[in-house]
Amino acid sequence: MASGSSPVHDSAIKWPAFPDWEFAGIQREGWRARPVVGLSQVLVSGDFGAALVAHAPGATEIGLWAVAEGDPVALRIARDRVLLVGSGPFDVPLGWNGSWAASTAGDAWFVVDMEGPAMADVIREGTAADLDASSPSAAILFAGVQAILYRRADRRARLHVEAPHGPYLWRWLEARAG
Amino acid sequence: MQLFPCPFCGPRDETEFQFATEAGKTRPEPAAEVSAERWTKYLYLKDNPKGPTREVWLHVTCGEFFLMERDTVSHAVAGSQALGGDPR
Repeated sequence: MASGSSPVHDSAIKWPAFPDWEFAGIQREGWRARPVVGLSQVLVSGDFGAALVAHAPGATEIGLWAVAEGDPVALRIARDRVLLVGSGPFDVPLGWNGSWAASTAGDAWFVVDMEGPAMADVIREGTAADLDASSPSAAILFAGVQAILYRRADRRARLHVEAPHGPYLWRWLEARAG
Repeated sequence: MQLFPCPFCGPRDETEFQFATEAGKTRPEPAAEVSAERWTKYLYLKDNPKGPTREVWLHVTCGEFFLMERDTVSHAVAGSQALGGDPR
């Protein structure tokens, strides 16, 4: 229990301070990382194909380590679930919609972009998944936590981790050598 | 490190999986008439065979429960399939 003038114990002081994600960055020999803020993210479960046809017909379905060049994209994370990700807002009705359901997930995932010629080596430190073998699901265990892994370009990877694991992932990346 | 075959995702690191139960168990019904001893046997007791076995596993990252056939001695995996079929 904190002593002195504060009558309430402040658990926040136990945790280290984290950077302002708007301006944070990691620069190492051969790779660099930065958080991606402001993305629209909507979780679609059930018959997601019907949802995409009706509300995001241009969204490309993306699996593990696949290159997602379009916007928006539908990250496949289960047999019956995708995370719809885009730079702009989605016009998707939330809640149950017959054979599928949608919920906003913009705050649910912390997103990091990594790029550079040594980027793949850092990624392979975090997962034992065979990145060269295609997998329909982009959901993996990365550095021990649930993640979604794909690429935005040949040497530009994007990781989504559950938001509470974001600071942990950032510290994990900071600890990687160049 | 061992690779397990998720019927949907394909081969993944064993750390992405959790054992669920031995396959072939039948849930006792009707629930209101099932004794505590019967529930205990259903929920907690395993045959734990030596050699080939059929088990239900969970691929944590995609949430899929599936059937896996493996050998408890050699750890060799013979195959897996989704609970509704769809062998891989």
